[in-house]
Amino acid sequence: MVGQAISHHEEEANDRVMFGFWVYLMTDLLMFAVLFAVYAVLHRNTVGGESGHELFSLPLALSGTLLLLTSSFTVGIAMIAARRGNKAQTLLWFGVTFALGLAFLCLELWEFSTLIGEGHTMQTNAFLSSFFVLLGTHGIHIIFGLLWMGITITYIMKRGLNSNMVRKLSMLSLFWHFLDIVWIFIFTIVYLGAFV
Amino acid sequence: MSQAHEQNDEHGSMQSYVVGFLLSLLFTFIPYIMVVNQTFTGTKLLVTIICFAMVQLVIQVTFFLHLGRGPKPKWNLYFFISTIGVVAFVVGGSIFIMNNLHYNMSPSDKLKKIANDEGIYQVGGKATGACQGQHANHKVTIKNSAVSPLQTDADKCDTLTIINEDDYEREIAFGVHPYHDVYAGETELVIRPGKSKTITLSEAGTFSFHDHLQPETSGKFTVSE
Repeated sequence: MVGQAISHHEEEANDRVMFGFWVYLMTDLLMFAVLFAVYAVLHRNTVGGESGHELFSLPLALSGTLLLLTSSFTVGIAMIAARRGNKAQTLLWFGVTFALGLAFLCLELWEFSTLIGEGHTMQTNAFLSSFFVLLGTHGIHIIFGLLWMGITITYIMKRGLNSNMVRKLSMLSLFWHFLDIVWIFIFTIVYLGAFV
Repeated sequence: MSQAHEQNDEHGSMQSYVVGFLLSLLFTFIPYIMVVNQTFTGTKLLVTIICFAMVQLVIQVTFFLHLGRGPKPKWNLYFFISTIGVVAFVVGGSIFIMNNLHYNMSPSDKLKKIANDEGIYQVGGKATGACQGQHANHKVTIKNSAVSPLQTDADKCDTLTIINEDDYEREIAFGVHPYHDVYAGETELVIRPGKSKTITLSEAGTFSFHDHLQPETSGKFTVSE
């Protein structure tokens, strides 16, 4: 049962699995870094069209940032509850995290559809291509995270918490924190950077 | 095997998350406000906000991910640091290389400006026409959307400084609106409020410039051989 100590053997297995997942996250970070490099090189190539300065809304970007940051906080609270074996609290806080993540996603999809509706698409110029790929890749990660979270929440509701489940939740929360960390740089370099 | 496992540093305490959250909020709002208010401008601001992002990265990695804490061998931390190293190399290197290519592969109408900037006075025995030595400077001030003086007469290789004394940005383009010509390798001069930009008058003739954002604000200059 969770809340009591787990065996040394299980702890070692946990460490190995967590390290493996961490290595995956680092390779993901490298992929994002390359997408950032591409954006840095291409963000001025607007073929005379509008740049980020004209297209982006700072209040919108800040709202998204706050939503995601708060969700990173609430997933942390959820993990404290999970390690204490508190099923109700775990479900509550993962639920809140899910809601915040979904709100973020909706905000981003709204921004994309507005841009595309105004004729600023991936095909317009290199700046927009790199913008959509960078943010789109992050968005796809968010979608996967939400799917993973939804499935996990459902599983816990039906089968309850155990130490295996806590390990899986650790990986999910790690993934979610990682996505917020990547977003810090998107917010800074893409959105704030456009108004510098 | 003891209750101490729950209090282990490797996992978070509530305190850790709250502190991390509040610090992250702080390090999000400060750069945001700095950009909205334009407390600095240009490269200085960019470097500042990137530093804030780096610090927030460390905050989140410490307080949310608890990296490096706990008594176990710090494999996660070491791997993270090495990834950051690779990232710095790949991103920094890409930007450096692409900038270098962008400069060295400038189109032919920019070559005059490059020759001036780098002091290349002859190529293969043939003079490039690049300007050298001290020459006169001419100032043109834009205030309340009025250009003064409207007409500047200069000699070749003099310099022309356009000063923006209004409180909004100006995009000075050469030629008559809506056309944008290239003068001596210069395309557009973005002049922030209160600032100025200087160009070398290395081409002779009569030319004009205008603010792309407000085309009625325009002026002329004549460069004699």
